[in-house]
Amino acid sequence: MYFAGVDIGSTMTKVVLMDKSGNLLSTVKGPTGPEHRQLANEVMRQALEQASLQIDDISYIVATGYGRLNVPFADRQITELSCHARGVSSLFPSVRTAIDIGGQDAKCMKIDKGRLTNFVMNDKCAAGTGRFLEVTATALGIELDDMGDISLKATKKIQISNLCTIFAQQEVVALLSRGENLENIVAGLHGALASRVAALARRLGIEPDVVLTGGVAKNTGMVRAMKGSLGCELFVPEEPLLTGALGAAILASETYMKAVAKSEALPTKSRRLEKATFFS
Amino acid sequence: MSWFIGIDIGSAYSKGVIIKDFELVASHVIISGANYRTSAEAIRTELIRQVNLSQDDIANTVATGAGADNVYFAGQKASDIVCTARGVHYVFPQARTVIDVASQSTKVIRLSGEGKVANFTVSEKCAGGSGRFIEVIANVLRIDLSDFGPLSARSKTPITFSTGCAVFGESEAITRISEGIPKEDIAAGVNKALASKISSLVKKLKLEEPCAICGGGALNIALVKTIEDVLNTTLLVPPNPQIVTALGAAIIATTSATSE
Repeated sequence: MYFAGVDIGSTMTKVVLMDKSGNLLSTVKGPTGPEHRQLANEVMRQALEQASLQIDDISYIVATGYGRLNVPFADRQITELSCHARGVSSLFPSVRTAIDIGGQDAKCMKIDKGRLTNFVMNDKCAAGTGRFLEVTATALGIELDDMGDISLKATKKIQISNLCTIFAQQEVVALLSRGENLENIVAGLHGALASRVAALARRLGIEPDVVLTGGVAKNTGMVRAMKGSLGCELFVPEEPLLTGALGAAILASETYMKAVAKSEALPTKSRRLEKATFFS
Repeated sequence: MSWFIGIDIGSAYSKGVIIKDFELVASHVIISGANYRTSAEAIRTELIRQVNLSQDDIANTVATGAGADNVYFAGQKASDIVCTARGVHYVFPQARTVIDVASQSTKVIRLSGEGKVANFTVSEKCAGGSGRFIEVIANVLRIDLSDFGPLSARSKTPITFSTGCAVFGESEAITRISEGIPKEDIAAGVNKALASKISSLVKKLKLEEPCAICGGGALNIALVKTIEDVLNTTLLVPPNPQIVTALGAAIIATTSATSE
């Protein structure tokens, strides 16, 4: 028996395939384009190929993320909050607070014994999300992936005075033209984002252990800035992008096994990876 | 020595006027660019050239706006709120509320009968509440800022943005374009979103009529119309809404010189 979790985020689409004992068979990440459905098919096809499986071999598939309704072959859709909470607590059983910073939102989750008990999120203002770093990296002419390493070389703390991403974009260019070090500016940007996300998390109350996930957690400078803003230790999974898809796969397995135990028939979707169009 | 200059250095545009006996004789608007000092000089040179004066003919210059410090030749500085109030009161003595839609901020000012500032509120934290939102989307739609108003006035079915954030709004506009939504409906949607933010700002101060609108945003006729609809009022629009604050600065230059 095999299970799959598909997480369609605003920036990246992720797939996790696992067997019934919870062993990971394959994981695939691909950039999310405007055509979610075709992409879900493509990423799923790659994951199956890596695991040498056919789509028919998969007993149950759960889709999550903001594009979860655009996974034509998924058997069930579960919100990303539940999937993240499940995925994070499978990796860190003692987690009480999970912070996920994605490309288009930031979520803070309170978790108790593996269950989501409360959450807050920001998807209204780019300044509190990974988009803040994406936009300002472009303005500074650097790669998003290089920001972490660059910021670790900072020699002083710069305060970015603008809250808005668009105004901050102007501000960093002005700072650069005034002769400020790129390293210091990038560290300032990390500090600005970290303080905003920490303020969001404080609305829930921060209890250890705290886990940071999402694409932004791959940025070492950002992890350091978050530790500073939160004033506590942070745990980061090896693959911080995959916790949503991982949680979806675990929930797929749990849903299926529960049904089997009760000898119930679970409705499943067509297992064809057909090319679907966006408007169908 | 009866010529007075007002210069308003904004984050996007720099504006300047010359007045004589409280009458506007010349005005000039340029993009502020990276060097505000050069922009200020360029404006002074052009104003003086238009009226055929020399620098010595200028009795006093007042600088205002975000970049006022760069107008090194100004005799004094004045707050942009006061200058806007003074400029609007000059054009529309009956106005009791002013909405100033600029690139980096939106201001709402309540005026006393004498044109004094009674109260004001400023929104400058978020591009989604300022003219910048329009600049961002105009860029995505590949249209000139001056075409934004006339284009969106043609829309019958404006889109509704799911976000008030200019960054997320930019992505949303791109998605709508790829879905084949006409440009005018997207542009009108931006005006709708911005008008709703501006109207909440006005309501915070309580609208006292008549209400005037100025700043670069007032050049966008569709935005003006949308704000009128949301606030259920008729807005007074100056013939050249962008230079009102500079005009106020020139008036202050005159009154402070004559009172000395």
